[in-house]
Amino acid sequence: MTMLRLTWLLLAKDVRIAARSREVLGFMLLFAMLCVVVFAFGFLREGQAAQDQVPGVLWVTLLFTGTVGLLRLFAPEEEAGNLDLVARTLSGTAPLFWSKAALQLLFSGIVTAFLLPIVAVFFDASLFGLEWIALALALGLIGQAALGTLAAALLAQVRLREALLPLVLYPLLAPLVLGGVKVTALALTRAPYSAFSGWIELMLAFDAVVVVLSPWLFARVTD
Amino acid sequence: MSANTANLPTRLLAGLGAGTLLCIAALGWVFFVTPADENLGIVQKIFYFHVGTAFGMLLCLCAASAAALIDLMAPNDTIDAAGQACTEVGMVFALGVLTSGPLWARKSWGTWWTWEPRLTLTLLVLLIAIAVMVLRSMAAEAQTGRRIGNALAVLAAPVAYLIHIAVQKWGGTHPQVIQGGGIQSSDMRIAFWGSVLALLTLGFSLVALRMRGIRLEQRMAHLRLDLSALELQRARRGVSNDANAT
Repeated sequence: MTMLRLTWLLLAKDVRIAARSREVLGFMLLFAMLCVVVFAFGFLREGQAAQDQVPGVLWVTLLFTGTVGLLRLFAPEEEAGNLDLVARTLSGTAPLFWSKAALQLLFSGIVTAFLLPIVAVFFDASLFGLEWIALALALGLIGQAALGTLAAALLAQVRLREALLPLVLYPLLAPLVLGGVKVTALALTRAPYSAFSGWIELMLAFDAVVVVLSPWLFARVTD
Repeated sequence: MSANTANLPTRLLAGLGAGTLLCIAALGWVFFVTPADENLGIVQKIFYFHVGTAFGMLLCLCAASAAALIDLMAPNDTIDAAGQACTEVGMVFALGVLTSGPLWARKSWGTWWTWEPRLTLTLLVLLIAIAVMVLRSMAAEAQTGRRIGNALAVLAAPVAYLIHIAVQKWGGTHPQVIQGGGIQSSDMRIAFWGSVLALLTLGFSLVALRMRGIRLEQRMAHLRLDLSALELQRARRGVSNDANAT
């Protein structure tokens, strides 16, 4: 079987498990909702939102919500105690890595689609029709999924992982969050592409680094 | 092996002594010989130690990341000990930078903390170094901890470079002392490079000291394994002897 086929089979298995229990995605959506409400408590003044709060609310919510999904990413294998076995496919550990990263990307994509209208309504922002925000979100979610899958795998073998995942993940994701916030803020003011092209390039470079390095390191920690 | 380890403490003590004496000498030079800065006054003297500490931090953490990569590709106890020692000493240096930086910033920029590129980078790098160490110590088995800590340390190097670019685009100003010609006299130059030399000597000796400690811990772990294997063997032999006797 080819690597792609194996990846697809593993992803289909995880999607089926997720569709049956609906735990993880449901909890991520609820958590995203809660985040926005809590940010509203913190940031709204007399019920009014300032435009410059929107990028921060959006990206920090995505960062936090991604963590919720990542903590449960390897849960099916851990509960069955067969992570080592599933990792050893005929094509090495790559299919497991890519299927998990794709699953995380799928979940966080759904969360984003749900989150955007909520933020737009609650914080009175017009986030739609802005292709650069969509591109920044795509780059951010891809980077978070690739790096996050590695981090989740590292923490699968560790105590206190709920506390440790943010410690591992948040400092490393700084370029994506900074870039995402900047691009979103500038795109909201209808700034020309040249105003934030550097940030897009930086996010692209970050994604390139983690997409190459994470699966390589994943193979070395799951073998 | 035994001759080597027997020699080490003397060399280590010499290194630590030299580092300490150099630091004291550099302090003396900085405070009694070097003139105060024309614009910033006496607070500028923090700079001599601030920059040396930052150099030490960069060297240690780069070395730690390189050691992690080597150990991940071809496991080697000595390299692993060096990597751990560098991470720990690099963390101490990072704490030094984050203590001396705000002290200086308070006087020269009028605020304890700004989200200025190099401060932000140092803070994030310190957090990543802490993450590497905590991850390592929280693993159920030492070998697992070693692998996952190494993996994170390897990833940290290119990502830290991107963080560096990101915070530079995002942040504000940092005194460009070396590039901008802020060193005004040869006394200052001697104070600067003398402090750098003193701090790096001390840092290098601290790394060697910690490396020795970690090597001893590794040997202890190996000996314990050998011992439990021996005990198991003896217990088995005891059982078979008892069986023969009856």
